[in-house]
Amino acid sequence: MADLPLNGQNTASDLFIEMEAAQFTKSGQAACGDDVRFLTVEKENRHLVALSDGLGSGVKANVLATMTTAMAIEFLKSNIPTLEAVEIIMDSLPVCEVRKIGYATFSLFDFRLGGKARISEMGNPGYIHLRGTEEISPLKDGQIVSEHWPDREVRECEVDFRAGDRIIMCSDGVTQSGLGVRKDMKFGWRRSGVLAFARERIAREPDISARDLSHAIAREALNITPGGCKDDISCAVVYLRHPRVMRVLTGPPYYKEHDAEYARQALLGADHVVACGGTTANILERELGVKIKVRLADMKASGGLPPIGTIEGIGIATEGILTLGRVLSALEQMRPPEAEPAAARAILERMMRHDRIEFIIGTKVNESHQDPNIPQDLELRRSVVKRIAAALEKNYRKKVALNYY
Amino acid sequence: MESVKIEICCGTACYLLGAANMMNIEDQLPAEWRDKVDIEAKTCLELCERDNLGGAPYVRINGTEIMSQATPEKLLTRIGELIEGAA
Repeated sequence: MADLPLNGQNTASDLFIEMEAAQFTKSGQAACGDDVRFLTVEKENRHLVALSDGLGSGVKANVLATMTTAMAIEFLKSNIPTLEAVEIIMDSLPVCEVRKIGYATFSLFDFRLGGKARISEMGNPGYIHLRGTEEISPLKDGQIVSEHWPDREVRECEVDFRAGDRIIMCSDGVTQSGLGVRKDMKFGWRRSGVLAFARERIAREPDISARDLSHAIAREALNITPGGCKDDISCAVVYLRHPRVMRVLTGPPYYKEHDAEYARQALLGADHVVACGGTTANILERELGVKIKVRLADMKASGGLPPIGTIEGIGIATEGILTLGRVLSALEQMRPPEAEPAAARAILERMMRHDRIEFIIGTKVNESHQDPNIPQDLELRRSVVKRIAAALEKNYRKKVALNYY
Repeated sequence: MESVKIEICCGTACYLLGAANMMNIEDQLPAEWRDKVDIEAKTCLELCERDNLGGAPYVRINGTEIMSQATPEKLLTRIGELIEGAA
């Protein structure tokens, strides 16, 4: 977590790398036989992705895939040469009793901001690199083979990965979806089908997030196959872009004379603003001359939390500590936003869509929250926000900044 | 007659102390009152921090009248008085 620069002026000029994945597990299996792992090495400004498909399916495949991604990402981070890393992984994987081999595929992505990206692949469908809707070829494209494992060729590519570019990596559950069940897709969806689908989605929605694109591809792979998931489906997308900034204002400032400056934070270069707290919303109304409206329909469908209001031209307003508490538990337990009450869902969905979340926290304690008649303990805003920030960074790889008033 | 304006406070304290039960108050209005009442939720009326008003949850009626410890029943009764009184 970083402190905001003076007056919360945003630092959105830095590039942000969004790394997301979507998965579906083969029908009838308790565990997904693919694994996707992300790692950001902050001090090197370096971003790593490992996607692996373990031999077979279910728990056994999951162990192979998880071992592979866990080792691969550590080796990448430690700059161990690819060939050496591959040999260690191959030598370590447990051997399948049925097939007498130990095997898991992988796709590895390694990128330092300001430099080139390196992609290594073994056994997975070839990655897709898109700049807008145009497919980009690698700068270098070669093969390396281990003496110990002569039949396992590793493809190594160097890629010119620029702002606005996307890399798509997937398991063969995606490219082979439909295979054997769809007469119009004799060889399944194939890489060419994924490419066409991604280009069409990006043409329709040029700013589509990595999260939405990975989910769209995985869902399409599932839809192509009638009667359930025939193989584990995994799709990872990496998207390099200017960060989308969301600013959350919550709580009145400790000193009332700071109200005006606090309210102005709602106007400084954020793509979306959420005011969490009744008094916070009132400060914005008063200081910025905006109107906050709560629709009757939102009152009725608020689902156990106070309703959402809209702040004209700026964003939304919600109640404070109950709503933030619910947001916190969803983030810590990584629950999907869809099942949450309206106000928590609205905040969670916005957090997922943005890359940098800036909290402007007023530290005045609301004395009415100490009323002994209130049927539940109300936590302090500051500590709830701190835990939200930690969960956003750890579980969702968001950049978070906190600024106190 | 002008419609009766109802503003329900949805701040944390009011919500927990009973405003949650008033979120669907519109559905409890008799049909003949519906076009005579204008119901709105407010993010916070900032009344709970004043200790001389009778306690949350608060509802503001016609911009000035404050109902403390509001319940759907109390609110419906008061709306009735205002409508019938004006008829």
